Amino acid sequence: MLDARTTFLDAMRLTLVVAAREFTVRIRSRVFIITTVLAVLGIGGYILLQAYVFNKPAVLNVGFVGGAEQLAAPARADMASLGITVTTHKVSTVADGKGEVSSGTLDTLVSGSATAPVLTVQTSADGTLQTVLTDLAREEVLNGLLAQHGIPAADIDRALAATSVQVDTLTKPLSAASVQEIVIGVLVSGTLYISMLVYGQLVAAGVIEEKSNRIVEILLTTVRPWQLLLGKIAGIGLLALAQVAAVAVVGVVMAAATRVVTVPTVGVAVAVGGGVWLVLGYLMYAFAFAAAGSMVSRQEDVSSVSMPVILVLVAAWVITLSVVPYSPSSTATTVLSLIPLMSPLVMPVRIATGDISLWQAVVGVVLAIATIYVLAAVSGRIYRNSVLRMGGRVRLGQALGLRGSAMAGASGASDAPAARDHLM
Amino acid sequence: MLALSHLSKRYGTLQALRDLSFAVEQGEIFGFVGANGAGKTTTMRIALGVLDADAGSVLWDGTPITFASRRRIGYMPEERGLYPKMTVIAQLEYFARLHGLNRGAAHAAALPLLELLGLADRARSQLQALSHGNQQRVQLAAALVSAPELLVLDEPFAGLDPVAVDAMSDVLRAQADAGKPVLLSSHQLDIVERLCGRVGIINHGAMVACGTVAELTARGPVRFWVDVPNAGPGWFDGVHGATLIEHDGPSWLIQLADGTDEQGVLQAGLAVGPVREFRRDRPSLTELFRSVMTETSTNA
Repeated sequence: MLDARTTFLDAMRLTLVVAAREFTVRIRSRVFIITTVLAVLGIGGYILLQAYVFNKPAVLNVGFVGGAEQLAAPARADMASLGITVTTHKVSTVADGKGEVSSGTLDTLVSGSATAPVLTVQTSADGTLQTVLTDLAREEVLNGLLAQHGIPAADIDRALAATSVQVDTLTKPLSAASVQEIVIGVLVSGTLYISMLVYGQLVAAGVIEEKSNRIVEILLTTVRPWQLLLGKIAGIGLLALAQVAAVAVVGVVMAAATRVVTVPTVGVAVAVGGGVWLVLGYLMYAFAFAAAGSMVSRQEDVSSVSMPVILVLVAAWVITLSVVPYSPSSTATTVLSLIPLMSPLVMPVRIATGDISLWQAVVGVVLAIATIYVLAAVSGRIYRNSVLRMGGRVRLGQALGLRGSAMAGASGASDAPAARDHLM
Repeated sequence: MLALSHLSKRYGTLQALRDLSFAVEQGEIFGFVGANGAGKTTTMRIALGVLDADAGSVLWDGTPITFASRRRIGYMPEERGLYPKMTVIAQLEYFARLHGLNRGAAHAAALPLLELLGLADRARSQLQALSHGNQQRVQLAAALVSAPELLVLDEPFAGLDPVAVDAMSDVLRAQADAGKPVLLSSHQLDIVERLCGRVGIINHGAMVACGTVAELTARGPVRFWVDVPNAGPGWFDGVHGATLIEHDGPSWLIQLADGTDEQGVLQAGLAVGPVREFRRDRPSLTELFRSVMTETSTNA
């Protein structure tokens, strides 16, 4: 028993040594540092843009002078009902007002009379303000005409105030908050997609590197193929996690500081869920990428051999984008979120929108883990059978060990002694 | 002691090894020579346990080589392999750790080894910045860094300049002197002749000659070079069993039949004048290798 435990601990130690090399060598590489800095700058820039350009509150400074002053209060009220904040200023003379418009302290000066207002602006008038003032001026004119015919203005106002258009909504509209949740979900999902794509291909390239420079022959004298495979995937996975974490921390802190995101409760669930699904999604695809990489011996073949895996991942992303954001709580989304290989991209959106029940989350994770288990077993077999076969591309049948071949002994190299070990 | 007995290996229709046996003693450097494709690399892989033989056994100190005992072997494969973008020292530490050393021990083992191989000042360089010869030294260092108890080196001298060959030979001799069995293969027979205690010649997967360099070169006909300035043709006709092989000015190469006393030739020479030189003509390992290859090929 003790021996078995020591062997297991030792096997884990070797896997860790392999993982540590993958991590430390790559985290110091120029490519990693540059891409991380660019990603952090990208997310930071995006949030700042949201905060200071698109979300900039539209406050209109409008000066009123002379007879037009009586339009100030109703104009402000009407503009507010249209979602535009207007600050009204009382200006003593038209000349002063024009001066303030030129200097920029006022956006618009309203002069003239209540029935014939004149707008003075720098270049162009705010269309909404112009419409509102036109309506108000017409109302004044109408009130004047009706008063001449003995109808009191107060009666008219009362009658008009009671008149409005009633709106019947058949579907509950998306609130600003839920739009924000979907955007956050899709951003997280997109981050996962890019990470899985980039780091998955890094795994394939790493496998080919060791195969093409023949170092794998030395490594496999003291490390079993599964330890090498697992260590490589773990090391590169930690790297992916570190990069995503750096981007996420910067994103969350800046979003909170600039108040771009106003749904803080979503934050924790999305961060935890995003992390879990990054790990699960990465593992699914990384094993597939590793198996693909082990089948060729030259770095030039990395893209052709990983194409099938990339296609599956891209298809999953396209399906996610075309279904999930438009109907985050539909049955289609629920089904997609449970399908392994798709779930890592769909689940983050469902977590962000809060449309997920506990049992669905658990089923999704269990199915993903089962898929990882199967993929790891198949990839491990392909890797073991292919990684010592130099030269041309290994056929899938050979890689799976379904067909015997001349080099069967070499490919199973590290297994036979292993079997002997277990017997002893 | 590393003992390989009756190894056979077949790749499809190719019989790579046929009933191959030899042993490498403690403290001995065993040189393994043969033409390309003769089965050297296959033998080394089987010796290391990364490849299974169809038949036969490999015993190290009486027990089969296991995954665990492989950690005590230093291996340099024919196809060199190191990480081009890793520093020399990090590379060695990594291999040491894969052989079971902890971080501190790995670092402690790597530095003196680089010192020994004259690479101390390149420790922090990336491997790809080193010359071919220096990369090869790093490869040897990678095989030695875990202080292995057995060395299996496939073509350690390939592509090295004479200075590097000497440096590597010194290191290997020191390893053997420390009592380790060293098994190496090489095409550079002059180096093998100088360095190896025993040599095995393999052809088409079978061992065709095996022994010390002296034993191997003593095989074949007994020939003497005799330098007799005053001699004319037929000066040794009186010596029974002596035949002329070659004649170049005052130098005569004479082959003696079995049982013929070489002193008779010397006396015949002295009878016609002074004898300036009288020495046994030993074939070099290269000549021996050629003749063995021709013999076994014609037999095959």
